[in-house]
Amino acid sequence: MTGRPDPTVGGRPDPAVSCRGLTIAYGPTAVVSDLDLEVGRGEMLALLGPSGCGKTTILSALAGFLPVASGEIRIGGRVVADARRQLAPERRDVGVVFQGYALWPHLDALDTVAYPYRRRGIGTAEARRRAAAILELLGIAGLAARRPAELSGGEQQRVGLGRALAREASVYLFDEPTAHLDANLRDRLQLEIAEHRRRSGAAAIYATHDTAEALAIADRVALLRAGHLVQEGTPADVYERPVDLWAARLTGLASIVELTLPADVDPGSRSGSPGPTPAGVAGADQAPLLSTGRPIAAGLVRAIVRPDWVRLGGAIPGRVVTVAFRGAHTDYRLATPAGTIDLRAGGPPTAALGEPVGWSLDRVWVPVEAIGGD
Amino acid sequence: MAESSSLRRVAWLAAAGLAAVIIGWPVARLFGVALERGIGTLIETLAGPQATVAIWNSLWTGGSIAFLAVTGGTAAALLTERSTLPGRRWLRAGLLLPLLVPPFVTAFGWARAFGPRGLTDQLLGLTLPGIYGPLGIVVVLTVAAMPLAYLIVAGALASRVEPDLERAARASGATRFEALRTITLPLLRPALLSALVVVFVYAINAFGVPAVLGTPAGFATITTRLYQDLALSADPAAFVRATTMAASLVVVALVVVGSSDALFVGRGAARTALPAGAGLARSRGVVAVALGAAIALTTVLPLVALVLAALTRATGLQPVPANWTLDNFAAALDGRFLGGLAHSIVLALAAATVTLLLGALAVAAGRRRSRILGTAITLGFAVPGSALAVAVLLAYGGWLRDTLAIILVAYVAKFWALGHRQLAGSVERLPGDQVRASRASGAGALDAFRSVVVPALRPSIIAAWLVVFVFALHELTMSSLLYGPGNATLAVIVLNVQQLGDPTITAAMAVLLVGVVALAAIPLAIAGFGREPTTRPGGGAS
Repeated sequence: MTGRPDPTVGGRPDPAVSCRGLTIAYGPTAVVSDLDLEVGRGEMLALLGPSGCGKTTILSALAGFLPVASGEIRIGGRVVADARRQLAPERRDVGVVFQGYALWPHLDALDTVAYPYRRRGIGTAEARRRAAAILELLGIAGLAARRPAELSGGEQQRVGLGRALAREASVYLFDEPTAHLDANLRDRLQLEIAEHRRRSGAAAIYATHDTAEALAIADRVALLRAGHLVQEGTPADVYERPVDLWAARLTGLASIVELTLPADVDPGSRSGSPGPTPAGVAGADQAPLLSTGRPIAAGLVRAIVRPDWVRLGGAIPGRVVTVAFRGAHTDYRLATPAGTIDLRAGGPPTAALGEPVGWSLDRVWVPVEAIGGD
Repeated sequence: MAESSSLRRVAWLAAAGLAAVIIGWPVARLFGVALERGIGTLIETLAGPQATVAIWNSLWTGGSIAFLAVTGGTAAALLTERSTLPGRRWLRAGLLLPLLVPPFVTAFGWARAFGPRGLTDQLLGLTLPGIYGPLGIVVVLTVAAMPLAYLIVAGALASRVEPDLERAARASGATRFEALRTITLPLLRPALLSALVVVFVYAINAFGVPAVLGTPAGFATITTRLYQDLALSADPAAFVRATTMAASLVVVALVVVGSSDALFVGRGAARTALPAGAGLARSRGVVAVALGAAIALTTVLPLVALVLAALTRATGLQPVPANWTLDNFAAALDGRFLGGLAHSIVLALAAATVTLLLGALAVAAGRRRSRILGTAITLGFAVPGSALAVAVLLAYGGWLRDTLAIILVAYVAKFWALGHRQLAGSVERLPGDQVRASRASGAGALDAFRSVVVPALRPSIIAAWLVVFVFALHELTMSSLLYGPGNATLAVIVLNVQQLGDPTITAAMAVLLVGVVALAAIPLAIAGFGREPTTRPGGGAS
């Protein structure tokens, strides 16, 4: 993941999108409140959150479909919406790809993609020529004469993408564009979308509730809970250093392990030896590497463990509770004195259900927010 | 499934037989009588001066009404369904209000409000010139028919034009107006066509309004001509003319309706209105007030004028409290009125119940087999009431003349489609898996029907019953041709009193009639019309 502008450098050009204190309400209920968000030029930001967290609402306000209750939105440095004025959608430098495709039933693929060119006053013949070039680029030139009813879901969304690209905007908004597609097609199309977006050079905000999708295609990920921004960072940041248990569970499988810490640890530093040991486990000689977002005192601490931070084989005892073979790897769940641990190992299963196994911890993460009695 | 398919066959045979008796035979008889003197006589009759003028008047007023009502209804639908007007809920209810008022009562109301010696004349010295005559007919029927156009277009906006389609246009660089022109209107085209057809048929079918506003000015339409020829004339030539014109009315209606489904496109769709977004923000209040004022002027003021006329001691007196009295109501509530009320309620109860049962029978016949049946049922609805009344009279007048039964046959022929479509629509929307899940959970066929199907259909059963009840309660066109001595319906009695020329008593009766209809319609309003759409905030994933 490259191309991310360094937020600490001053004097850089205006960001592609910036929201300050953004509040969006349906009637008296604020769906998004006091949100600050920035997307650099050429950057792809994923808005990751569960259904109903406000992703679509934020995109609607950015596109100009919804008014802003307070705060402001700037696109390319220009204020496009605040509590008093809203710039109409057609006057914002924004292209949108919709979750439900939003293709017009009475227009074929070619005229759909030509539509944004026509709106800019380009003649029909030239608009269609340019639209044909985009369909060619997307590999669907053969579908030019088809209407939405004659297209599959994936084809429809490619046409939707083509329409957005024809807008030649400096910011694209993707509202869960692959949510209605089946898994195989979803993986392929999301990479296609990311690639075409990257080549266009435009910035983008990509709303999704699919963690793997967000981590795979974004330069930066913003975690959204009930209209609030919980965390922002690179995909590796949010995966390896989630701010709390909720963020950890949103960004992948996360187990909680209870550790005994022999000495105080400062935030940012990494524990050396003597390291933490799983609580209640005698003779666990190998101590995991511990990183933390806050100072922690010696004694008992709860930490987060990703499945790929745990290995089968080691001195800590456990018992296999579930096994799921997934082809390229196998997922295990272990019952251990330190807690229930999810573990991922390459290849087919090597331990059977109910079998006692030894395991070891490579590393753990103690988030900023202490983990409660979960 | 052999058992259920033989049940379906029985249902189909029964429904088809009843359709033939109630709709098929009368219409066939009408054409038989119209044609029995040969094509030459038919053409001669139609080319006669009285028929020609009436047909021409019906066609041009009908066309104007269709154009105006659909234009107005579309504009209103776009405003209430595609913007965030304040008080949308009230505006919607106001736009549907004319449905509750029998059109001929609206005509009284307009005459009392804007006519000579009407409310605006008394208060401001202003009258609407030409209220008696074609202008008044066009204006009042446009007001009365606008809710039909509004409902069809608003339904199509909800079901055929998802807000995202318009948003996609805006996000592609289209202005509000360009999005309307290139996306919304093309997608609405079938609904607009359907609305034009429905309103046109409604307008050429209308009898009460031309009777109230046209006849005094000597302006005849097909329906008032038919009434003159049939109800007021003993001349055999007039009877021939009546049957011929009734048959031609059927032909006009069928040609216009074209396909049977044109009448029902876009009905019964759920509202999914979301605020269409930025823009119009500053003028929202102004637009809402303007729309509210239009509703007040065209719908509420005439009703107010009617109430004031009913309360005022004598026509021509100022409508101030000093001149108020309840004597008109006391005079209106005489034996005739109460008898009419009883007839209307009995007829409406019977029509609603029979219609619902016949609708259920047609639905039970199954969808595949019932294409012809559905067309026949829709035919009954599409045939203008005047023509249908003549047809029923020709078919069954011999032994049912002057009974309530013959009126009931006409009501059922006319309203069967309402019950059928409503039920068929919700049966189609009922997912088959729900019934299968019930069977797979151990329910027998009857048990599954009782525990899964009936609860799901209950709202539409109630709505279908109520709609027919309300329509039957203020039906005038057919009743005025079919009633006999001693069994006039309420609407007929009110119209007759008006034609005898007692304005204050007429006003009092009309107010009571509206009150009765409104009372019956309250459950209907609660059941759905004014309901606020459920807007789901944000979170597009589903």
